[in-house]
Amino acid sequence: MVMKFEKYFRPETLEQALELLKEYGSDCKVIAGGTDVVIRLKAHALRVRAIVDISAIPELKQVTVGADQAVIGASRDLMSISRDPALRGSQWQIVAECAGHVSSTQIRNCATMGGNNCNASPSADMTPGLLISDAVVNAVGPKGKRDIPIEEFFVGPGKTVLEQGELVTSFTLPAQGEHCAAAYHKHAIRGDTDISIVCVGVRIGLDQDGTVNKARVALGAVAPTAIRVHAVEDLLVGKKLTDEVIEQAARLAEQSVKPISDQRASAEYRKEMVYVNVRNMIREAAAKIG
Amino acid sequence: MLQNKRLSFLSESILHGKKFFSGVYADVKAWAFPYNGTHENREGGSIVSNTPEKAANNYIGKTSIRVDAYDKATGKGLFASDYYKFIPDLLHVKILRSPVAHCRITKLDLSKAEAMPGVARIFTAERSPFHMERLPESVRFPVNNECIWAGQPIAIVAAETVELAEDAVDAIVLEYEQLPHILDVHEALDPNPKSVIDPASGHGDGVVDASNPWAGIGRLDVVKSKFSGEGTSPNIVGNYVLDKGNVDEAFKKADIIVEREFCTGRRSHTHLELATAICTYNSDDSITMYGSGCGIHGVIKSAIVNIFEVPETKVRTIQPYLGGSFGGRLTPYAEVLCAMISLFLKRSCAYQYTRKEQFTGAPAAWPVYSRVKFGATKDGRVIAQDYDCVEEIGAIQNNVSYTGRLSSSGAVCVYDIDNIHMDTAATVTNIMPVGPFRGLGCPESEFGMECMMNELADELGISPVEIRVKNFIKNGGEDGYGERITSIGVEKCLRACAEKIEIDKPSEQDGSVWKRGKGCAVGGKQNTPLGRAEAIVRYYSDASVEVLISCDENGMGASTVMAQIAATVLELPIEKIKVIKGDSILTPFDNYSASSRTTYTTGNAVKIAAEEVKDKLQEAAAREVGVHKSKVEIHGDKAAILGSDIQELELSELFKSTSPYAQGNWGLMRFSPVEGHGVFCPAPIRSWGHDGLTKRMWNWFQYAAAAVEIAVNEETGQIKLLRVACSADTGNPINPKMVEGQIEGGVIMAASYVTQEEEIYDKNGALLNTGLSDYRVADTLASPRIADFHSFINPDPLPDGPFGAKGMAESITIPFPPAIAEAIYQAVGVRPTYFPMTAERILKLIQEKKAKEAAAK
Amino acid sequence: MSVLDNKIIVSFEVNGRQTELLTAPNRTVLEVLRENLGLTGVKHGCDDSNCGVCTIIMDGKAVKSCAMLIGQAQGTKITTIEGLETENGLHPLQKAFIEHFAIQCGYCTPGMILSAKALLDENPNAAEDEIREALHGNICRCTGYKKIVEAIEAARDEMNGKA
Repeated sequence: MVMKFEKYFRPETLEQALELLKEYGSDCKVIAGGTDVVIRLKAHALRVRAIVDISAIPELKQVTVGADQAVIGASRDLMSISRDPALRGSQWQIVAECAGHVSSTQIRNCATMGGNNCNASPSADMTPGLLISDAVVNAVGPKGKRDIPIEEFFVGPGKTVLEQGELVTSFTLPAQGEHCAAAYHKHAIRGDTDISIVCVGVRIGLDQDGTVNKARVALGAVAPTAIRVHAVEDLLVGKKLTDEVIEQAARLAEQSVKPISDQRASAEYRKEMVYVNVRNMIREAAAKIG
Repeated sequence: MLQNKRLSFLSESILHGKKFFSGVYADVKAWAFPYNGTHENREGGSIVSNTPEKAANNYIGKTSIRVDAYDKATGKGLFASDYYKFIPDLLHVKILRSPVAHCRITKLDLSKAEAMPGVARIFTAERSPFHMERLPESVRFPVNNECIWAGQPIAIVAAETVELAEDAVDAIVLEYEQLPHILDVHEALDPNPKSVIDPASGHGDGVVDASNPWAGIGRLDVVKSKFSGEGTSPNIVGNYVLDKGNVDEAFKKADIIVEREFCTGRRSHTHLELATAICTYNSDDSITMYGSGCGIHGVIKSAIVNIFEVPETKVRTIQPYLGGSFGGRLTPYAEVLCAMISLFLKRSCAYQYTRKEQFTGAPAAWPVYSRVKFGATKDGRVIAQDYDCVEEIGAIQNNVSYTGRLSSSGAVCVYDIDNIHMDTAATVTNIMPVGPFRGLGCPESEFGMECMMNELADELGISPVEIRVKNFIKNGGEDGYGERITSIGVEKCLRACAEKIEIDKPSEQDGSVWKRGKGCAVGGKQNTPLGRAEAIVRYYSDASVEVLISCDENGMGASTVMAQIAATVLELPIEKIKVIKGDSILTPFDNYSASSRTTYTTGNAVKIAAEEVKDKLQEAAAREVGVHKSKVEIHGDKAAILGSDIQELELSELFKSTSPYAQGNWGLMRFSPVEGHGVFCPAPIRSWGHDGLTKRMWNWFQYAAAAVEIAVNEETGQIKLLRVACSADTGNPINPKMVEGQIEGGVIMAASYVTQEEEIYDKNGALLNTGLSDYRVADTLASPRIADFHSFINPDPLPDGPFGAKGMAESITIPFPPAIAEAIYQAVGVRPTYFPMTAERILKLIQEKKAKEAAAK
Repeated sequence: MSVLDNKIIVSFEVNGRQTELLTAPNRTVLEVLRENLGLTGVKHGCDDSNCGVCTIIMDGKAVKSCAMLIGQAQGTKITTIEGLETENGLHPLQKAFIEHFAIQCGYCTPGMILSAKALLDENPNAAEDEIREALHGNICRCTGYKKIVEAIEAARDEMNGKA
């Protein structure tokens, strides 16, 4: 269908962008790659008066990878994140891996870090990676800068805690600690082209003796937002990863979620896939620590 | 359309500076490599040619480059929607559709929409001046304000821009009261159904053609069937019964009896080009239609002339390149609506379906419910077949086409079984009306047949290959109807595939959750006698030739095949042939490309037309030299004369110059070609008796086989194709590379719809997966790696096919689903009886099996 | 005389030619290429960026022109299928698609060729699996993909001087 917005802006500085957001309030939408918003505009699922394209603001495209933190700009495209040599091989490698699972080549070439998260799709591929990395969303708005823990960022499908006039500028990934590794699996029928039936991210940190000192388990597509499953994390910490413990953790993950049935899968299938994939990802993460 | 216009340019551009190009335009011998030389076919295939080998320019069984390839590789080829840019001042169309499967409209207020400036007209059931009941099912308005499927058009808006038309649709006020609906075959068969889809009011509007032998409706009363006796569902709208031998007695003699029920989901054609129609209204009150539909004469023009009662000369239909069809374009819809609007408003108009509309407002395939029971001797000979099937045809009113006979035709054309009982029916439901889809119900109906054949083999401990070979119909034998089979290469096909996958050797397991298994199956598909095809061949003085045809080119390569046939008959290099197709004022009658008929029907017409050209040239040369015509042979651009001192004649010498002083009143002349007209129409079917038997139900049959090795994830139910071998009996293949393309494309399409494609409905009966995101068409990752994907051609020449050829593109999709089902059984021990065999369904079967085993312990 | 304050002027390069146009902003790159510039080799097949027939190359990368606003094309270099054939003849990918029968209905072909070109330009030695991975955003309903992958491998070898 014919898109209904009237104005398109492409500010070149953050200040200009914020000014536009202030001017149009709830009647505008921010895009960076546009791959998701344009589809919703065409379907009339989204009707706003103005589009603010932040892709020409240079600082929002930056990626900096340091020793104890990494910062990824909101308008950085997912293809370059997925291939970023500094991220690959770093303690945040999982974020690059997740980026490589978003849809197709053409979409990854446009879609961005900010867009994939700010759309607040429960099945977004980037989000579990950020949840298990304790990422922080850096936003700026009329009231100044704000750092939002990623777990508090999502409110419901398509909804975040961002206030009117606020804009996400980047994501900060803190240090993950020693002897720590993460794994991600997108359970989909065709592969990356599909929207996940279930997606699972797990990060495990181990003591020298193999006792779990850190556990992060995040699930997508099983709740109104991507979620962390704290009960499973609590179960794992302090234990050694025996088959029995892993089995227990995976079953607990399955019992912790109440997914819906839709055209992609039934609730029962989703629950079973949570079990299978949480189990597999715990094993895979632990194996990566070596 | 002048589809060959770029040929000469291609040869130059493509050859420029390159050491070779296997193109038709250069050295014919260099590119026309013989079919036997291809890698795969050396292993698995064999070819029989009935064309004299010494003849020059024999293109049969050779790989000619497609005549449309240049246009399509450069983006220069025009598809219907590409014509927008040439046609100004178009009205645009949008449709308000029923949001639920069954409802009564209580309010339809158009006032606000109609008042919008730029809205030309809104058509509804009440405001349409035509015989609305004649419109094709998928664009027919509700009768008595009762919508009977989600997606049914309620109001059709024509406006100056697309945006205006959309806004007007949004401004229409629709209120409705929901009624109970039926979405599947079991609900439809209920004697007291929740919904009666086609109340008696739908009958008797004069559209039903009593002479139509397909019509099942009249037989309901006379056919003795479990589906249509007293007290059965009013939603059963046709049926067919076949009785051969004595099934009851045969079952008594059987050593083993196997029986199972099967059912399938609903699949969509999903051709990539969206349905598009652009209709120009001309100054003489005629219309010109550029449409993406099939059948410029037999479907589109015929629909427009019959529905709107306009003179035949006032409708010109043009078919640009088509972006796939797979049967989906055989029922006209966008074209009919645009014609309606143009004729009424005397304006040009255009309509392109959205992808969502393509899913919700255009025909899909019909699901088939079937029950198969085999009785066999212990050595594997099947002696009794009891087969029921029901076609679920959606919300079709006044059904004349569906009786279950189309789908069940696959169940009696492969195996030679003495005692057969078949009871088939068609039921209506509150889902969008169905239409033909590649295979015409046979992939669905033969799924059960082939699964049971595999099960029988497993039960008896016989190889799945040998049990089939033991039961195949032999060439010259009879099928279930009592028809004589004149071409059946199914055994060669099966053996080639089975050998490649080593079907008798169990898969090696690697200890992971991915369990491996192998399976094979075969399939047969009838060719329906679908009437006439005509062709015109024109030979010019310089030996350049025009071939005028109206068959559809959905992408399968028909245009190229026709060029090859004409070049071969005329013994001319193929670059001399120019194919002109798809314009109803230029190109002669052809019905449509359906049931894999094009190579056979249009191919024969082209051959006849080219032979007539040769005959006329023979006559002209004979007169010129002064011998009897029998003393003249035409070879390419030369005539060979026997018994005269003039032994050879350049045909160009027979043509007078175009100087006004030399033209004269008779004889051949430059620019005035020698024309041959070919007409080919297979004999119609013969009505069958009360036993359902007849000596002519179909034309001929195409056959195929597949063998696969797959891996099934026992924890997730997912399937991976590891190795695939598939083979088609095409008769003599005209162009083997294109046949391979049909095999590979058909197999991946089948792989896609048998594992991951299914239309899913919500509680209101509206389609949930209306986009390509959740209607999962296979992508590159689903196709096996090149080294593991084998296609073979195993021809059994068809005596009445052009050069022994027959069609093949449907049968190739049939064996794949049952081969997968058997491979799943071999891998994880469960027998799927429903396709698509989605990961979720397979996992459920595995879990049920485990639960059963646990309970047994 | 209308007020033009909602319209935008977008300038970009298409197939080596600088283009500047005044347009309402609520249009996709696909719509502008087809309707304003007549580049109908760029196809429209779905409405939610899943089929890939609208693929173009923008600044060296394959993108889906149906999921991109025209404003986003500002300052970019675009290649469509119309830009591949030069006075020296067809692009090796076009030739390979023709010779290897990677074309049936042809509707996916422009997008397929452009996705393949973007891949080979970036990774001239792309192996079979990399080709599949790069192309899974392009749906073909006719060919089963085998001949498409074969054609791309053949073009790759020719471009690398191995043919």
